Amino acid sequence: MISPLQRHDKLVRATDLDALSCRFNANQRGYFIPPDKYIPEMIRSYQKHLPFCQGYTNLSVNRTLRAAFQEPKLPLINRGTYFRTKSIDIVLDDFISQHENKCQIVSLGSGSDTRAFRTLEKYPDSGVIYHEIDFPESTKIKRAAIVNNSEIMKLIKSGDLIENVAVSSREEFESLKSDFHTSVYHLYGLDLRKLTSSSVEFPHVDPTLPTIIISECVLCYLTPEENVQILSYWTDMFTSSCPTATMAFLIYEPMSLNDSFGKTMVKNLSGRGITLPTFEKFPDLDSRKQFYTGFGFNNANVTDLSVIGGYEKEGQSWITKEEFNRISSLELVDEVEEIKLLLRHYCLIFTGIGQNIRNVNLFNKDG
Amino acid sequence: MLDLDQTIEIIQDCKHVPEADVEELCTKAIELLIDEANIQQVDTPVTICGDIHGQLHDLLTLFKTGGKCPDTRYLFLGDFVDRGFYSLESFLLLLALKVRYPDRITLIRGNHESRQITTVYGFYDECIRKYGSVNVWRHCCEVFDYLSLGAVVGGKGGVFCIHGGLSPDIETINQIRVLDRKQEVPHEGGMCDLLWSDPEDVPGWAISPRGAGYLFGKNEVDKFLQLNDISLIARAHQLVMEGYKEMFDQGLVTVWSAPNYCYRCGNLASVLTIDDDLSRNYKVFEAATQDVTSIPSKKPALDYFI
Repeated sequence: MISPLQRHDKLVRATDLDALSCRFNANQRGYFIPPDKYIPEMIRSYQKHLPFCQGYTNLSVNRTLRAAFQEPKLPLINRGTYFRTKSIDIVLDDFISQHENKCQIVSLGSGSDTRAFRTLEKYPDSGVIYHEIDFPESTKIKRAAIVNNSEIMKLIKSGDLIENVAVSSREEFESLKSDFHTSVYHLYGLDLRKLTSSSVEFPHVDPTLPTIIISECVLCYLTPEENVQILSYWTDMFTSSCPTATMAFLIYEPMSLNDSFGKTMVKNLSGRGITLPTFEKFPDLDSRKQFYTGFGFNNANVTDLSVIGGYEKEGQSWITKEEFNRISSLELVDEVEEIKLLLRHYCLIFTGIGQNIRNVNLFNKDG
Repeated sequence: MLDLDQTIEIIQDCKHVPEADVEELCTKAIELLIDEANIQQVDTPVTICGDIHGQLHDLLTLFKTGGKCPDTRYLFLGDFVDRGFYSLESFLLLLALKVRYPDRITLIRGNHESRQITTVYGFYDECIRKYGSVNVWRHCCEVFDYLSLGAVVGGKGGVFCIHGGLSPDIETINQIRVLDRKQEVPHEGGMCDLLWSDPEDVPGWAISPRGAGYLFGKNEVDKFLQLNDISLIARAHQLVMEGYKEMFDQGLVTVWSAPNYCYRCGNLASVLTIDDDLSRNYKVFEAATQDVTSIPSKKPALDYFI
């Protein structure tokens, strides 16, 4: 038996499988160019290791994986997955080029996300360093995927000596390494809620380097207090060692807009045991902007995914006309009002401290 | 022999309908529909309903809201299937009522009554899941090909009813009457546009973001109303949070009848009754079940980004 807290954590970790299955489906459908070649390795590692994770049985693993990877997603989910992935990539590319390829990326609760590998592939032999943090159970699965794949090993400059991780019991899984460090890539297995000032240290994070910290549907599962604690942890780390530090936060998550769609979402997610503690506390872009500026960040650039996709005003879209036509031709979307409604409830926020956070053009297109 | 009243009860209880009964029901429906015109003439008073999308429990609420069939005369504007968990039951219930009370219920075709769309949006998978073979889906798709394309309610100054909207290829209702409708919904052309287009604040015609049909503006609606001597275009096809929405100086209305669409959108639904004097009376209703977990189903969908 597992405790209610363990069960809650398991459900939150399981949201990574949802995200992976969305990326898998969108990738299958041809949304990503170039195609994401790292996804299959992440899925293989899940297939091998999920049976040994807390709260799973062989039966439930089969059911979970079948639902995740054999049932096709709706076109609107694929399209939303594309916008989410693409918009974060765009901000990241912008940040990297602004700092002439000399910067750090820290991904909170990164799970099985492949952005680290896609980014390191895109910026080889540059000064880009990628850090990923998640529950040890999740980073063990990721580490096993990495060391099993010579291509990824080369990318992260770990030589091409692959290591075949074979696990046959919970104890063996438990004893797997959860961390991994190379000159350009760092993986840390730890609970984000344990990040309180001074208690945890990241010797590999260089506070003098411009840094962008990504939370893609991660902080939304934590309480407002834990949110503040995590923001403070990173802010203190950077400001205390470098007064002119550039530290940005890039946050993608759902918001309630205080409407009936938001209320239905709360009910549907709670049916799966998932709560979103900041969903209604910061229901819209204005309240989120206020929260981040009130926290002491320079500015908060805020927008929603419907704007980014060009569903509100075509001119505000982050996606070129040609690219939009390309993805539109992949699948027929049967209901535009529905996709708008869904995407309006997901925000993208770029905030933080330092010179380059002020006003980011992308977020302020007139349309 | 199929006992229609019993079949209607079975479906309303959301119980399994034997494959042979589905086949017989479809055959009988086709015998009726084959004689219907592309544009059906429907008498007042009639209650017009928009998209259903397999939300059987909400369809039952709809009948409670609008009155039982045959006591109330109904016109359904298509999109019976896909998205919801009970596409088959919803469609079969409407078909059974059609066969039982042919003059009291009219069904016209929506863009989802198509082989191609149902393979993407759930109806195909649902049939396979419930029957283990494609037969039931095939029978239903055959019925789709015989559904009328539209209807006219009342005489002069009446209401033109269609699933999607207008087409740049079609100026008059008479032009629709001569189309060859008995086929899969084409990817372009008049028949496709009638099932796919949307009204929008655009000057004339514009490209639709759906990838099929067009966007049409007030000018086009005004022209169509005048040329065809009608007072209103009643259509469905677009989610409306309030259940219905009139546009273009009340020249067009969107009627949406799937409350809390996909068990997720949190919207209201409505039906529109057109009386003998052509006056309009909207009845708004809410979802029978408020969240996805209370729907008895093997597959609780959770279509969010989490």
